Amino acid sequence: MTRRALLIQLARLGDLVQTIPVIMALKEAHADWILDLLCPGHLEDLGRILPGISTVGRWDGTVWNRRARQAEKEFRPEYVVEADTDIRAITQEPYDYAYVLNQHPRAILAGALLAQESIGAMTGRPLDPTLSPWGAYVRAVAKDRSENRIHLADAFCGMCGVSPPKHIMPIPMSSVQLPNDLDPIGQSCGPWIGVLVGAGDPERLVPAMAWTRLIAGCLEQLQGSRVLLLGSRQEQERASWILASLPSSLVGRVWDTTGRLSLTELAQALTRCQVVIGADTGPLHLAAAVGTKVIGWYFARARVHETGPYGQSHWIWQAEAVKREALHLKLEREDLRRMEFLDTLHVSPVQWPIEETIALLSDGSAASVDGWSLWTSHRDRWGAYYVEAGQAPVAPLQREHIWNELHPTAV
Amino acid sequence: MEHLNQNLENLRQTVPDLVAALWNSSGGVLSIVPSREGAPSARYHDQWVHSAYDPKKEARSWAEQQLKEWKPGEVAVVLGVGLLYHVEALALACPADARTAIVVPDLSVLKDAMGARPLGSWINRIQWVTGTPEEMATQLTAFSSPLRFCTYGPAARLHGDIHERLQTSLRRIMAAKAGGQLHVAVVGPIYGGSLPIARYVVSALNELGHRVSWIDHHVHQGSYEALGSYREERHRLMLQSRFADVLSLSTMAHLAEDPPDLVLAIAQAPLSLAVLQHLRKKKFLTAMWFVENYRHLTYWQQLATGYDYWFVIQQGGCFDALKRAGASHVHYLPMAADPIVHRPMTLTAAEHQEYGADVSFVGAGYANRRALLPQWLSHEWTMKLWGNEWDGAAALSGVLQRDGARIDTDACMKVFNATAVNLNLHSCSGTGMDSQPDFVNPRTFELAACGAFQLVDDRTLLPDLFTSDEVAPFRRTEDVPQLIRRWLPDTEGRRAHAEASRRRVLRDHTYRHRLQELLSTVGLSQPDRIGSILRGDRLTTGLKERAASVPELLPLLNRFPTGQRIELKDLAADIRARAAGRQLAREELLVLMIDSYRAETKDLV
Repeated sequence: MTRRALLIQLARLGDLVQTIPVIMALKEAHADWILDLLCPGHLEDLGRILPGISTVGRWDGTVWNRRARQAEKEFRPEYVVEADTDIRAITQEPYDYAYVLNQHPRAILAGALLAQESIGAMTGRPLDPTLSPWGAYVRAVAKDRSENRIHLADAFCGMCGVSPPKHIMPIPMSSVQLPNDLDPIGQSCGPWIGVLVGAGDPERLVPAMAWTRLIAGCLEQLQGSRVLLLGSRQEQERASWILASLPSSLVGRVWDTTGRLSLTELAQALTRCQVVIGADTGPLHLAAAVGTKVIGWYFARARVHETGPYGQSHWIWQAEAVKREALHLKLEREDLRRMEFLDTLHVSPVQWPIEETIALLSDGSAASVDGWSLWTSHRDRWGAYYVEAGQAPVAPLQREHIWNELHPTAV
Repeated sequence: MEHLNQNLENLRQTVPDLVAALWNSSGGVLSIVPSREGAPSARYHDQWVHSAYDPKKEARSWAEQQLKEWKPGEVAVVLGVGLLYHVEALALACPADARTAIVVPDLSVLKDAMGARPLGSWINRIQWVTGTPEEMATQLTAFSSPLRFCTYGPAARLHGDIHERLQTSLRRIMAAKAGGQLHVAVVGPIYGGSLPIARYVVSALNELGHRVSWIDHHVHQGSYEALGSYREERHRLMLQSRFADVLSLSTMAHLAEDPPDLVLAIAQAPLSLAVLQHLRKKKFLTAMWFVENYRHLTYWQQLATGYDYWFVIQQGGCFDALKRAGASHVHYLPMAADPIVHRPMTLTAAEHQEYGADVSFVGAGYANRRALLPQWLSHEWTMKLWGNEWDGAAALSGVLQRDGARIDTDACMKVFNATAVNLNLHSCSGTGMDSQPDFVNPRTFELAACGAFQLVDDRTLLPDLFTSDEVAPFRRTEDVPQLIRRWLPDTEGRRAHAEASRRRVLRDHTYRHRLQELLSTVGLSQPDRIGSILRGDRLTTGLKERAASVPELLPLLNRFPTGQRIELKDLAADIRARAAGRQLAREELLVLMIDSYRAETKDLV
């Protein structure tokens, strides 16, 4: 029987991209269902080209924010009418199911308003929700920072009562054009290397100097290579600084697109690269989703096993934290409040894997760097996983156990 | 003449009475002069009422500014008639269903406008408000909608006094009708003369049914004084200044935890300009009641731009000075009395013995008092002097009570009640009478509220507050002995004055009156915020009326008692409190959704 389901993803770009496997898994499990997506307005265009999605509902946080500010000043019944109109603009008839992947109250409320039944991170009524088994698992991993062998994107599948998809296909980008002057990108031979110069979260910013050194090294050592600087308008200044810091002989091989591309154009530009390098950011995941290989530099709170790019053959340099065992020993002698420190633990690298990344690009050789480990991605029936470079791609055993324990929620 | 005939004929369809009155008016107030652009402009004596270059362009620019503030549902009330260019621009730029009224203090000006140029059909969409200021206020109130005043300065200037009276009438009507419950945070001083006033303000707001958060910095007085005990002045000043900054931040933390509709600071409240600016950025509305002589205490110069509203006890030069310093709204709000505290008392014989005298003076030993009071000693009457800071006043040592100790409010009231002739001499820095005698001190109102007879040094602002049948003013120091001789044996005359002055206070001069006036003033200029609350639009009853088109909301609103103010957060909290074990209605989910965005608010501190 045909059902209508709505996937609610109100978080950021990276989260939407991590939602692609669950879209595919849902379509594999329920080929005849109509699957729609509700996402923030600025991600709407990207949502429209995701395979498996019938229609995209736009969630306009700005309008809701403005309405809330007005209602805070003076509550008027009209605001409820307007809010209802906005909800009805998404659907007149409630969906059979809402797949709510965020634990935020507004995503849960949206599920309750738009569908007869909500499935996802939480179960129960909107105001007394409890974490679903998969929701609890994801939260425990985020809180304890313990070893996690189930990728977040696969945990989303679990939340929605489906197994990870058998097949992952790249986002089809054929319909999107680049601006004329940028169309030559990726058309000439030689490796095109995309560099994501910024990050939405300041603690995930790679120093511009490190990017400059990496770019200069690539251009000098990889024959015929070109570099594409990618980022938002806010990152134009960083890109300009990087360009200005490069030897003038190399500048002609660098294309600065920061601040010039829409989200779908960015996705198109990413397909034109042979490899994309960046921190744990939405565009890095988008690059993986359009089928481009990526090399991630994961530091601060980013952890390869949770949010490594989904798919196969991606590389992640993971900055290593202080040995946890040592930290625990120390903390045992201190008061419990200090334990909270663990929750905020993040890693600030003192050096960056620049030469080693260039070596990976030139001949695939995996060198070691102090304070960093290198991981490569694989996929099997339980989803994506990462194995340390140089190790056999043996899937970690506990994944199957976790799936067997948590999966029973089926629709 | 042709334009006049045509325009009045056009207007006759909607307001025939006004047209008849216009025919009878003389006109000729404005001089019509062509502008450079060609359209007629106007002058009043030697001042331009519209642009000499392009009055239409100027009017469009003015209208654009007004539209930024004018909210749906409000009636725009234009002050300033001129040649109506600005009214035309506003009428043409606003939505078709928006209502615009214009105040017409002088029909002759309107007749000039009607005769100067052809006016379109838009004039039939305007509501013309005419009559005395009081009549016009009544007409405006009858609109039953929030009023948004749009002042076109060059034309409004012609009738500033009438506009002032109109606004006063509106404030009175609004104050009388006000039914809503505001949340007001009152920020008091650490110590000093404004501290009791802050307390009276808190009481009055409570009496009026508003919710009051009393941010009482008096609890910090001990620490503040301890920091003042250092020998070196620079240490004292630095530490006390830093301490005041900390208190300013603590005020901000308090406001962040329970955001009010209005922050009302009383003079000497420790709120720094930086904190006030931050509060403005976060959309907090602030007001200061500066119950000080602006010539003596000049810290207002640093804070003038910080407060949204200034209320002062002086006029004229005080207004000008504050406005020059950057204050945007300055209003006169005289002192008052609190009839619960300042009241007639029945005293025991012992109390009469202790506190009573033919003549008394209560107050601190300012220079002018030290110089003048000895001149009013006489063997013809007994005199008692109460209060502190009289050290070294040898001529008064014989009448000084309790060795010059400070007396509390209760003792003060007993003195007022037990004295035949209370002297009330305003303090000043010189040795004679105040050379700029404008404001009226709290003591005047407190004595009157006690039903006590007083001789008070005359003030320019006194006649508006009390008549000479209520208090007995004196202008020259040498007149005081004679006045005492006149009044002391006249028990009935004193009683008549005292009772009349008490009646006057109860009628016009309580803190309750002042706070009504203050809130109405803010409400008139903030029709969509404070005004809407004061009008009771947010009370259950008002909301229920507005919810007629959303009957599904009624079960939610019915849960709140009639007369209670309802905010978004109240509704959401009520839904949450009752959510356990039941399916929420769609409207409840929608309210919660809006509230989830509200909750993501300000990081104030």
